[in-house]
Order: sequence, then structure tokens, then C-alpha cells
Amino acid sequence: MLLKKYLSGLSALIVSSFLILSAPLVCAQNLENGQQLFQTLCARCHGMLGEGSEGPSLTRPNLVHAPDDAALVSLIVGGIPGTGMPGSRQLRGQDGPDVAAYVRSLGELPPEEMPGDVIAGAQVYKSIGNCSSCHILNGEGLGIGPELSNVGQRRTASYLRRSVTSPEADQPRLVDRFRGLLKAFLTVRIVSEIGTYEGMRINEDAFTLQMRDMAGEIYSFNKSDLISYEKVEGHSLMPGYNSVLNEKQIDDVVSYLMSLK
Amino acid sequence: MKLSVLLKTKLFSAFLLLCLVSSNVIADTPFEALLADEVNGADWLSYSGGYKSQRFSPLSQINTVNVDQLKVMWAYQMQPTGISGAALQETTPLVADNVMYITESPSSVTALDTRTGRVLWHFFPDITNDVLNIGFPRINRGVALLDDNVYVATLDARLFALDARTGAVRWETMVADNAAGFSLTLAPLALNGKIVVGVSGAEAGVRGYIDAYDSETGERLWRTFTVPAPGEPGSETWQGDDWQTGGGSTWLTGSYDPELDLLYWTTGNPAPDWNGDLRPGDNLFTCAVLALDPDTGEMKWFFQYTPHDTHDWDANQIPVLVDGEFEGQQRKLLALANRNAFYYLLDRETGEYLLGEEYSFQTWSEGIDDNGRPIVIPNTEPMRDGNLVWPSLQGATNWFSPSYNPQTEQFFVPNRRMGAIYFKSDVEYVLGMPFLGGGEQPLDGDDASGAILALDVMTGEQQWEFELQTPPWSGVMATAGGLVFGASNEGNFFALDAEDGNPLWFFNTGAHIRTNPMGFSVDGNQRVAIIGGQTLFVFGLD
Repeated sequence: MLLKKYLSGLSALIVSSFLILSAPLVCAQNLENGQQLFQTLCARCHGMLGEGSEGPSLTRPNLVHAPDDAALVSLIVGGIPGTGMPGSRQLRGQDGPDVAAYVRSLGELPPEEMPGDVIAGAQVYKSIGNCSSCHILNGEGLGIGPELSNVGQRRTASYLRRSVTSPEADQPRLVDRFRGLLKAFLTVRIVSEIGTYEGMRINEDAFTLQMRDMAGEIYSFNKSDLISYEKVEGHSLMPGYNSVLNEKQIDDVVSYLMSLK
Repeated sequence: MKLSVLLKTKLFSAFLLLCLVSSNVIADTPFEALLADEVNGADWLSYSGGYKSQRFSPLSQINTVNVDQLKVMWAYQMQPTGISGAALQETTPLVADNVMYITESPSSVTALDTRTGRVLWHFFPDITNDVLNIGFPRINRGVALLDDNVYVATLDARLFALDARTGAVRWETMVADNAAGFSLTLAPLALNGKIVVGVSGAEAGVRGYIDAYDSETGERLWRTFTVPAPGEPGSETWQGDDWQTGGGSTWLTGSYDPELDLLYWTTGNPAPDWNGDLRPGDNLFTCAVLALDPDTGEMKWFFQYTPHDTHDWDANQIPVLVDGEFEGQQRKLLALANRNAFYYLLDRETGEYLLGEEYSFQTWSEGIDDNGRPIVIPNTEPMRDGNLVWPSLQGATNWFSPSYNPQTEQFFVPNRRMGAIYFKSDVEYVLGMPFLGGGEQPLDGDDASGAILALDVMTGEQQWEFELQTPPWSGVMATAGGLVFGASNEGNFFALDAEDGNPLWFFNTGAHIRTNPMGFSVDGNQRVAIIGGQTLFVFGLD
């Protein structure tokens, strides 16, 4: 992996998006300083690229404990009581805001031109796409697939297009503070003496497994009771929509999803 | 009820109360009791359950037949301190005469009644939120007991002696300067009239050492540095002033052989962690085990597991003392499953290397040569663009305890199966700041896994494995009941059949587990204890 090139490219991207989207005070120098301090102080728990390790991933636009930049600086310096986050009281002057700017930059997505029509996409979502049969949007739908309420903040248009046409191409991940990067929405196939089941893994430990099937029913199994248990890699419970939607409809629904922020 | 009957009943109740109260009087823990800790199943008087650090319970009331009937006898919720980042619990409880002593993060001590879990006293060492902890969480791993004192080492690098009856401070001493990045997280080791501690701080570029203090006065008796100054033995493995910031921290409790009168203590990584260009040489005595004279601190021998480490593979794992027949000869051995993925046997009298076997998948070494030196595969060090190597910086195992069953000669190891992309970067030393020279991006979660392994202690050969969902961060305890207790990140506390690794019982504590199991008894009834999240659970059959 060419980390340096990636980071310098990322920095340039971040700088441009920050200049457009955010306060004009952030400059490359701030980000470089913030990145160096981040790698020194934060990376051991949050990963060199902020992707999470013992600490959670920071590559997201909304951070649970930091609704605004002032709160982010405060917790970087002061820590978060009740968690493993100790804070870095060594930081002085501009260093705290620089680390905060760099952390924010990890979750920023580059601006993209939308390929389709948002209003038409909303119709596709509700009608022919029948997306709410699996996804939750603003509280409605089944939680078999990822919630889409703020998906435009988290994903790029190209990622969403690939998800609509080839949903098996990317395995969504979530960071568990104590377990690391887990595969979310992983398809599992289970055979027990009672029957055969296919669904989405909800949770798992060494002894038990919880899953939700396509009807939204939740099941809990003792692994010792199972005849077989398969984690199906490279597979998605969601069908590819290439054969269901035409190109324009795909562009429209992607644009609609990108508008959800 | 007639008055006489009432009187008799009251008298009988008072007698019963007296029995309960009188048997709860806190007794001394003399050095002689510590020498017998291994065979005393009722108590658990030191971090690893005895000087040999076998973490083996000789109790067999709970066994393979009845373990599935275990139930929670009581639970204790840890007390919030308001200190940020202090929500991870890694203590091993100690038990002496029906009183349990635990630490709570960052460095508090709580005494509990082992019958009920009720608090007897609580001590908070007045730690402030601005305490430095560079390279590790704000945790503590437990206390030491000696005579009528309880000893706790603190995150801000102090050592306290507390009155075991009340928690009152008898003395305190400053072990190291927290402003330079030193901390103490380990359970101290109590010897005859001495309290031995080690320091954390290699990620801040400290020069590590081991200290012994007079148990009655707190006076420092000796200090042994783990990185030699110019002219001292081992200094030829450093260049220039690198030794001054050379690391080699000593953050895990050691072991002791009273017959040989040798203290065994392990050392951590050289500093900076990941940029070895800044400290050419083998960097003695980092990533090693040292045999010390407990009266003087003089080094009798050393063995370096990972010369010139660049992956943060501290050797701070528990050195387990084993007596047995190795290749036809009765020997006094030191067994250690190292973070670098190899299992080692040394002769603990001389330090002679006897065995080095791979016990977990790794990509950095072709094996161990006849002198105990790893045969390093080229281009496996951290690189500026990243370099994928197994195991990850947290190693194939880590600080959490292994266990040895002397009855079956089985060595049990919690095993992390996880790689990482290692990065190297430039770094300059600044007092009290991280001194790392790189970092890692772990392949964790579903890209990793874990296991409890049973090894033949004399060969390192794997007998069985019990697979875990993710790489564990908790220890194991074998018992004379044919069981191995272990725990997982997913919050399961479980018992395996020591013979074949089959799970016989599990319990969901409801939160991650990152500590070691231990065992004791109450009024003749066996107990096992574990901490899940912020809650201490004590299990029994009655």
C-alpha cells in the first residue's frame, strides 16, 4: 500500500473539500500537523488511517461524542469519561484544533455530480425498487439491509451505484470497540434438525448465533445444536438491480440516496 | 414462644453471628503463606496464584461432571471514578481469609467480603485526570499481599502500602516520574520483606527498570535497569545515546523460584517501537527475560527472545516455572508463550535455551536457531508504505495469563490470530510524548480469530484448540477438576474439558472480558471469578 501517496492525495482532497464545505481557516499546514499528531497520539487505538482498532473508526462524518468541532477538540484534549478514550492533555495551542481538523477530514467525502433526478429516484425507491422491504429509511422499513437514512453522508455515488447493481461486491463493515472490524450484513446459512435457514447475521459468539431472515424474523441458535453453519462470503441477500431497473432508474435512485443526509 | 426458647434462639443467633464475624477477621499473609500459595486452594494470594505463575487451582469440587451447574453467587459493580478513559478492568482478584482484594481502573483498591460481595473498604489514590498513559489504557492488574499490608502500584507511578484491615495508607513512594511517561499498571510481586515492581512507558521512550522496596518502610532496596549504560554489559548492542530512550519496560508481574532464590522478570520493546533504524543493534535487554538476585537486583542471566524488535513484541508475558523431565533429564524450566508466536523453554537455573516452537501462524521468522535466536525473514520489518506481517503488534498472545496443569503437563495459551500492516515513520524524542516511529493497521474483527490452545509443555506440540470468534484479551485458569476456564471479547466466560478442549459450560457476562480467571473457596465451597465489563462475577455450585 502506498501510504504516503495515498495520504498526500487524501490531504489534497481534504483541503479542497474543506475549503469548499467548511471554515476557510483550515490549511494544508494544519492538516499536516494534525495528521502527524494523530499518528503519534491517536493511531495506536484508532489505526494509522483512522479506520479503527481498539478505538472506533473515525472515517465517518458524524462522530457520536463530537456533534461539533468544539466538542471534538474538547474530547481530543480531555478524553471521554466512561470509555477507553484518555485524552491528550499534552496538546497546546493550535495542536488540538489541528488534530480535530484532521479527524474531521477522515470522514469527509469528495463532492460528486449527481447522475440522475432525486424526485424520480424517490419514486423508484418506493415503487419498483421496493427498497423499504429490506432497508430502513426515516424509521420505515425492515432492518435486513443497512439503514439508509443518512447514507448520502457516508457513501459516494459510485459506491451506491455498485451496491444497487452488484450488492455482493462490497461487504459492509462495522467497528466493534472490543472485537475490531466486523462484517455487517453477512449472509449465513444454517441447517438444524428442525430446518434450513438463510439470513443476515446479527450477532455471534463462540457458542451462539443470532440471525434475521428475509421476513425479518429473528432466530437464536446454540452452535452445538447445528448440523451445519456457513458464513457465505461474497454473497448478498439483496438481489442485483440491473435486471429490475434501467440505467436512468439506477441513476435516479442513486441520486436520491445521495440526497439523504 | 416461651421466653426461654426465645432467649436460646437469640443466643444461638448471636453465636452464629459470632462465628461468621470471627471467621471474617483479616489474617496476615506471611511470606510462608505465599510460598504455599500454589497448594492452598482456598486462597489466591498472588497475581498468578503462586510464585511459579502457573495460574492453576488445585480445587476439584467443580469438575467436568458438574460444571454445567455453575451459577452466579454474587456480583460486584465497579465504582466510576470520573477519570476519563478508566473504564477497562484487567485486575486479577486476590483472596486471603475470606476477603477479596481487587483493583479498579485506574488504580483504586476495593476489599470485598467473599461470602456476599459486600464492600469492606475502598481506596482511591487521588489520581488526577491529567495523568499520562502513553501507549496503553488506564488500567491496573491487581494488588500484592504481604503480612497485614495490601500493595498497589498506580498509573501515576506511585507505590502504596495499605492496611489490609482498613485500606488506610501506611506508606507511599514515588517509583518513577509520570511526566516522563512512566506509569505502573502491574500487580506488584511480594517476596520476603520486599515488594518488586516494574514500569510501563517504552512508548514514551523511557529507560526501563525493575525496583524492589522494603515492604515495611517503602525504602528502595535496589534498582536494575533493563537497558545498559555505556560500559555496562550489553551496552555494545546500542549506539550513541540511543540507550537513554531505549525502552525495555517491565510492566508485567514476574515469577520467583525460592529454591534457586531467583526472580524472573520480563522486558518489553525497545524504543522507538517501529523504526529500528534509529536504534541499530540487538538492543539488550529488551524483549527478554531476566533472572535476578532478589536481594541485590544483580542479573544472573538473561535470554532475549526478539533481538532488535521492530514490531512491538514485548516479552511481557507470564514466565511459568515448570519442573519436569525434558528429553530424559529432570530440569527446572521456564516456559513462555511469546508475543512473537513462538513457545520457549529455558533452563531457569542457567538460562540455557532448550526449545523454541511456533505455536501460532507467523510470517516473520523461519524458526529459532540452536542458540535461541530467531531466523528473521528479510523485509518483514515495518515500512513507510506499510508491510503486512503476522502476528499483529498485540502478538500471538499478550499479557493475559497462560495456565499450566502440573498433573497433566499441559500448557494452555489464549491465542490471537491476527496480522497487521506495519508502518515506519520518523520520530524525535520529546519528554512525555509518544516515541513510536510508526504504527499499525490491524486485520482484526472478522479478518482475525482466536483460540485457546493446549500445548504439551515439554515439546510445544499442540494437543487441541478451541476456536474463538475474535482474538482474545483474557487469560485462562486450569483446575484440578479437569477444567480450563477462559473468556472472550464477546463476553463469554466458559469452561473447557482439559482433555480435549470441548466446551462444557458458558455464561454471557454481557460485556467484553479482558482479565484473568481465578479461583478460591468460601467455607469449603469452590468459587471461580471473572470480570465482564465493569462487573465482577463469582460462580459456585451451592
